Amino acid sequence: MNRELRYGFAALRKPPALKLAAWSVPEILPTAIYGVAVAHATDSFLAGHAWQGIAWLAGLVATACLGAAGAHQVYARLGELVEPLRDDLVRRVVAGALHTGDEAAVARLNRQVEIVRDTFAGLVLVIRNFGVTLFGVLAGLLSLAPMVAVFVVPPFLLGFAASLAVLGVAAGRVRASLKADEELATAAGMVFSGVRDITATGSEEFAERIVGRPIDEQAAAERSLARVAALRTLCFALGGWAPLLILLATGPWLVGQGVSTGTLLGGLTYVLISLQPALNTVMGALGDSGLRYVITLGRILDSTAYQLAPRPMTDSKGHQLRLRGLTFAYGPKAEPVLADLDLTVTEGEHLAVVGPSGIGKSTLAALVCGMLTPTSGRLLLGGVPPSELSTDRLAMTRVLIPQEAYIFTGTVLENLVYLLPDASAAEVGQAIDAVGAGALVDRLGGLEARLRPADLSPGERQLIALTRAYLSPAPLVVLDEATCFLDPDTERRAEEAFAARGGTLIVIAHRISSALRARRILVLDGNKAALGTHQTLLRTSPLYRELLGHWQPGNQVQRDQIQPAS
Amino acid sequence: MSEDFRAVVRRGRGWLPVLGVTALLGSGVALALPTALGRSVDAIVTHHGYGKWFALTAGLITIGIVCALVEVFTGTACVVSTTAWLRHRLVSNVVRSGPDGTREFDTGDLVTRVSSNAVDAAQAGPAIVNAIAAIVPPAGSLLLLALIDPWLAAAFFGGILLVIGVLWVFARRTAEISLAYQETQGRIAGLLTEALTGLRTITAAGTNAREERRILALLPELHKHGLLTWRVLARSGAQAAIVGPLVLVAVLAVGGLQLVAGRITAGELFAAGQYAVLGAGLGGLTGVLGELARARAGSRRAGEVFAVETVAHGTLSLPGGPGRLTFDGVSVIVGEKVLLAHVNLDLPGGATVAVVGPSGAGKSVLAALAARLRDPSEGQVLLDGVPLQAVNRQTLRAAIGCAFERPQLVGTTVGDAISHHAISTVRTLAAARATHAHDFVSRLPDGYRTPLLKAPMSGGEKQRLGLARAWPASRLLVLDDATSSLDTATEMQISKTLTEDRHRRTRLIVTHRTATAARADLVIWLDGGMVRATGTHAELWQDACYREVFG
Repeated sequence: MNRELRYGFAALRKPPALKLAAWSVPEILPTAIYGVAVAHATDSFLAGHAWQGIAWLAGLVATACLGAAGAHQVYARLGELVEPLRDDLVRRVVAGALHTGDEAAVARLNRQVEIVRDTFAGLVLVIRNFGVTLFGVLAGLLSLAPMVAVFVVPPFLLGFAASLAVLGVAAGRVRASLKADEELATAAGMVFSGVRDITATGSEEFAERIVGRPIDEQAAAERSLARVAALRTLCFALGGWAPLLILLATGPWLVGQGVSTGTLLGGLTYVLISLQPALNTVMGALGDSGLRYVITLGRILDSTAYQLAPRPMTDSKGHQLRLRGLTFAYGPKAEPVLADLDLTVTEGEHLAVVGPSGIGKSTLAALVCGMLTPTSGRLLLGGVPPSELSTDRLAMTRVLIPQEAYIFTGTVLENLVYLLPDASAAEVGQAIDAVGAGALVDRLGGLEARLRPADLSPGERQLIALTRAYLSPAPLVVLDEATCFLDPDTERRAEEAFAARGGTLIVIAHRISSALRARRILVLDGNKAALGTHQTLLRTSPLYRELLGHWQPGNQVQRDQIQPAS
Repeated sequence: MSEDFRAVVRRGRGWLPVLGVTALLGSGVALALPTALGRSVDAIVTHHGYGKWFALTAGLITIGIVCALVEVFTGTACVVSTTAWLRHRLVSNVVRSGPDGTREFDTGDLVTRVSSNAVDAAQAGPAIVNAIAAIVPPAGSLLLLALIDPWLAAAFFGGILLVIGVLWVFARRTAEISLAYQETQGRIAGLLTEALTGLRTITAAGTNAREERRILALLPELHKHGLLTWRVLARSGAQAAIVGPLVLVAVLAVGGLQLVAGRITAGELFAAGQYAVLGAGLGGLTGVLGELARARAGSRRAGEVFAVETVAHGTLSLPGGPGRLTFDGVSVIVGEKVLLAHVNLDLPGGATVAVVGPSGAGKSVLAALAARLRDPSEGQVLLDGVPLQAVNRQTLRAAIGCAFERPQLVGTTVGDAISHHAISTVRTLAAARATHAHDFVSRLPDGYRTPLLKAPMSGGEKQRLGLARAWPASRLLVLDDATSSLDTATEMQISKTLTEDRHRRTRLIVTHRTATAARADLVIWLDGGMVRATGTHAELWQDACYREVFG
């Protein structure tokens, strides 16, 4: 909780906060004058001085105008405090999402950031209002009769302090309720999208239990929140009603001390019109907005709290790839995806990786590109582990094109030169020709045309991504099923372009035909692996024969066209 | 008022009388208090009857506090238990309506009905009570104001008109500006979504910072729109600050003149001021009415779900048998559209039957009928001589398993998504091995205990889990294109397991692959909702039209 409060206070340490405080002074005036004006007006009316009474009331309206000017400035300054805070949160969420890849960040960007923005503004306003009211009432009461202030203010503050203590009790329960609410939405979403499957497996009771648990948890959390609300009512009794009763109880004595009827009524007016609403609002705001602010901001800060590990800067030499006893598992209890793999890919080689889907081909690609770290064993790229290279150096050494091609809103050219921003027109043209993206670029309206990612088919997206990779300065190219949505002819042309580009080419094959174009083939099978040329593998690897078997021309099965190898 | 709304109100009937009494008592206290306070002060000044008025005031305040406490507890109890009751019923109704009953609803929409609409609906009872109780203080205080002096009421209305004007101007302006703000927000979210889909490329290229700048380039625009919303608030805040005290001042000025004229006492003037404030609470009524409207909308939305009939099951169990599947004059007609027409098939128990045909031929409808995921409009489907509709649910689901092209996995962990009977880990494991799901599940961080939401899976991996889930069926396995995303090697191995199935189950396999059709004992060739031919793949292959199906 302290972290969230610190964050909030830090946002207040800015010039607009001072201005906000300064403009609060004219805004206080009506509040401060209220009881005084009522007291003097009543006394004037009682004394038969009608115009004097009216004049006091007119004074009240006049201060209200001053107060309006103050309110206008206060809101504007509040905006200047809140908007930078929102900007900072958006920055954090975006940076965090790009770091962790957490897709929930998009929801966070809109919903949670807005919750924090609104609750923060509300809190600043309400708490400031509370302070202003208290200050104004105190000033007013002191000017009327200090005795009245002595009876009113202490119980009021006591009630407020008690409600702050209750807040601590409420925090955990509000958190539980919000959590149950989210779990309910997640569970209901899963179950409702699977009604067909639930029916088919006869698991209706199981599904009801999955959603039923958060329903009951939420109900329990809400029930325990009712007890907190009851405590809050008692705090209000102390802070809001006790001053009133004390004032009435001591009334005869006060009048005996020379306090006027108007002053007594003024005191009551202060309690009823100023203090009670202020206490009510601040208790509500702290209990609701305050907790929502702390919890939601906490979520955002948690999700964006990550450490960028410092990368030791080693220098690499060339782009030869050496794997020695490489083992990788996704968790300490999980079976390894790759076990004890030895492999050397010399500069300029063309290697294909084949195997059933889910066997670890993409994991291997990620390891080679330095995006995962081996669980044990060594992987050297140009003589050093990729994790010891700077990101820039790494990007200059290897380029990875994943299955899901990245296209962003921008011009075709911007998308193509993404990895080589200062590419010349000739280089771009040559890349487009080599990969075979000319027709696509024409269809899109040339290099300067704007791209809308949603308008492209998966195959077209891949063609753009391939052209981009072709332009990259990196000598080592890793195609991770980067051609799976292309038709076999386009795929062949693209792969041949990369083979002729110079440098090393590693193809995670989607179709077995990709393997036939490679010089060497790595067959992954369980956590065993076999390496060799097409000819040797035909003799030594049963899995390779099996994969290839479905693809022999002339085979009747072959009517399914070229089969996916992954 | 709709039947659903009344049902929700009835559900809270145990609490509503208590809520009603406390709400009315509370309103009464609020109304009586200004007079009691004013009279107390008058009594102090006149030294007459002070004790009585003070006791009355203290009593009123105590009653008010007790009412508030009772209201907190009963109100929460009523809303919480009604919400939970509604939610459980909604969930139960949805999962028991079957795929046919819920087809009209969007998943997200159903989730909203259960998560937020149910809470709104549960307010039905308290909302009625509140609406009645909320009218009392403002209406009563206007009445009392008029009773003290009619001119006070007139002054009050003059003030109220001004307040309405301010609120109206405010509501219009914000709507436009917050729209521009939300649009910018949406564009930023759009760019972020775009970048997240290409995150592997971005991370590999080390261009995270560049992407961050690109997305955040819109931030100044958002900032600008955001500041505008505050400026509108500032204007209306200023107006409210002027207009706020006007009602009170108008009433006090008129009341002061009456005081000078000796028509009212100082205490009454004070009470008049308080009634002016209470009367201005009339604006709060819109909130109560809004609550009532939401409660009605929420209960209507719940009612739409309750209106869907749940799937009825019979009581019979199945006699011993090999799993013989019979379609007896089966037609499926939706509206004007005929999905299947007069299908008569008698499939021998233990056979592998392939269903082929162009898309839209009715293959999935046939599969759904066999697994009783929908019922025929005419005719009936029988398993070992018993109509599926007559079989009780547990028996039916133990006998028939169904796997889909796009399975939706339901469960908390990967393991219970395969088998929701948490007891039989051995069976789960056997099914997972047979369908090659074990290969990748064992590599997940926590194996079968990995939370389902934390195990992102490819289409092929999901299909393997879907197959494993259907695997334990005792008599009939229906595979609706359930291996389409698998790689050839795995598909081959699974078909081999299927063909050599030692449980001798009947297998109905919807497929696009010639290899699968070739391995089947019998092929059903569907076209336009009709059975065009049945026979072995080799026999049918002679027909060029049949070969075209696989083209």
